[in-house]
Amino acid sequence: MSEAPRPRVAALALAVGLVLADSSIVVLALPEIYRELDASVAAVSWVLVSFNLVMALAAVPAAHLARRLGPGRAAAIGLAIFAGASLACALSEHLSTLIAARCVQAVGGAAAVTAVLELLPATVGSERRAATIWATAGATGAALGPAVGGLLTELVSWQSIFLIQVPIAIAAAVPILAVARHEAATGVLSTELRKTGRPHLPANLALALISAAIAGALFLLVLLLIEGWRLSPIGAAIVVSVMPLCALLGSRVNGLVPSARARAAAGAILISGGLGGLALLPKAEVALTLPPQVMIGIGLALVLSALTETALGGRAPQAIHGGWTISARHAGVVIGILAVTPIFTHDIARQRHDAIDAGTAVVLDSKVSPLLKLDLAQKIGDRLDEEKGKVPTIGPAFEPLPDDPGERDEVVDLREELQDQLNRGATHAFSPSFGIAALIGLLSLLPIAFARRVEL
Amino acid sequence: MSGERRGAILVGSAIVAAVVLVGVYLAAGGASYTPEKTQNPCKHRAWTNPEGLQEIAQQFTLSALDGAACQLGVSRETLARALATPEERERFTERYDITEAQLAKAVRAGLLRAVDDAEEAGALSPILAGPLRETLRSIPLDRAIELINNAESLLDQAQGILGPAQELLEGFLP
Repeated sequence: MSEAPRPRVAALALAVGLVLADSSIVVLALPEIYRELDASVAAVSWVLVSFNLVMALAAVPAAHLARRLGPGRAAAIGLAIFAGASLACALSEHLSTLIAARCVQAVGGAAAVTAVLELLPATVGSERRAATIWATAGATGAALGPAVGGLLTELVSWQSIFLIQVPIAIAAAVPILAVARHEAATGVLSTELRKTGRPHLPANLALALISAAIAGALFLLVLLLIEGWRLSPIGAAIVVSVMPLCALLGSRVNGLVPSARARAAAGAILISGGLGGLALLPKAEVALTLPPQVMIGIGLALVLSALTETALGGRAPQAIHGGWTISARHAGVVIGILAVTPIFTHDIARQRHDAIDAGTAVVLDSKVSPLLKLDLAQKIGDRLDEEKGKVPTIGPAFEPLPDDPGERDEVVDLREELQDQLNRGATHAFSPSFGIAALIGLLSLLPIAFARRVEL
Repeated sequence: MSGERRGAILVGSAIVAAVVLVGVYLAAGGASYTPEKTQNPCKHRAWTNPEGLQEIAQQFTLSALDGAACQLGVSRETLARALATPEERERFTERYDITEAQLAKAVRAGLLRAVDDAEEAGALSPILAGPLRETLRSIPLDRAIELINNAESLLDQAQGILGPAQELLEGFLP
């Protein structure tokens, strides 16, 4: 091996983080894509769902292919496909081509991620360490995805999310090429073709459930911040970056507690508790999302690495079992998004109606003059039309403020009260979905408990 | 410390953190942070000692909206938005499958209820209320909507036309 292990380990971890970040990186860009490609909300959600669905379906077959082709070659080819498909995503002018490119991206990503798991043990010298690095890189990538995507969307464009992945994928592939060349020159696979054992069902089931809950957390929180509370993508990116930061903190706890079951259970409880907190937000304030995010971030690091370790522990070949964990995680993401989307779209429409009714009641019962009320009612109606079914920012409807100081104070109070009603509606619209995501998170404790019984 | 004990402490801490967060948010009103419920328009809303024509007009409008909304089976707020512009009115009648005649009947009923409420609150004398009722029973829809949106003009006109007659009659009363 000509390459020093450290850059190769970094490249392998980068490849895993890059691919798994893609499962969530477009979350903050969806509103922009929706507007630019003139698509419906349901159709644009497939930019996210298609990638995760194909990853779930392709992970295990890709792992088998990696073992037949050689992990170095499979990882290099996978990253090349991923880079090419990322470029195609960036150049897409239609939603259909974007979704097709996302599917190809997922195929390449699945090949790269599963092959990397086969390469890591030889590079780091231990299967357990390899599994920990692989799981941590994946969890970090998945958690960082929305924040990075949001920053790029706001600062450059949604296309830049995909463009930037091209050089990163190539950079990650370069150190792997040495292994691929070695495999091609010798015709010898770096790993022995062994009989595949059964996947660890409880750990994979728990991974699917917890991934569904986490997908709910990321997807819903981002939508709440942008569509509900009207934050810019960059503002939302800064807010949700709390989760990956706390995931890094949580990964330190991994080393202190050797029991994977305890870490998995604690992680699932923290994620469910955090989601429960988001379901019960007492006010529309960004600061109140921070404690739940801290818990979800720490829980994410604990549970993902513990369950991945359990799913891979003592099982061979690693790539195939890693493929099962990837499959379980992405299937969970798809289930999570598909389960909560119809609930919150229904709730947001109902809450918007209730909030507008409550806001109208505030205007009707206010003490401002009837003619001013009529004028306000028309301007508010115009704002609602402009926002096309979203939760509106009501401030502009009150401009210009009346000249009379007494009337101005009344109008300012009215504006605040009206915006409060709309904020209440927007926040409450997400509560049932966060609650369901919390319950899904708690459900993962069942397979975790069952895993304990079978392990003992 | 043994690994098992560390694991138990970790799980225990996670439970405590989750319970504390959920408990604090519940105590801070997380379960009730919802838009305020609107009142049933069929339920009588008492007038709150109105003073001056503008305040009487405000309460008159609200009573009229309540009365009309009650008859149509919608909220007062939905109807208020529907009557704000002709486009909103068209959208409303289409959405709730209401004919113009049904809307006109409901709006007239609302105005009559407002006259009753005003009379009951002592804001409108019986001498003014009677003729006003007669006028409102046959008023065209557009004019009725105009009156709901600007009740002050209706009351002002009624006062202007019938005020001297009322003063005259009151002079004969003991």
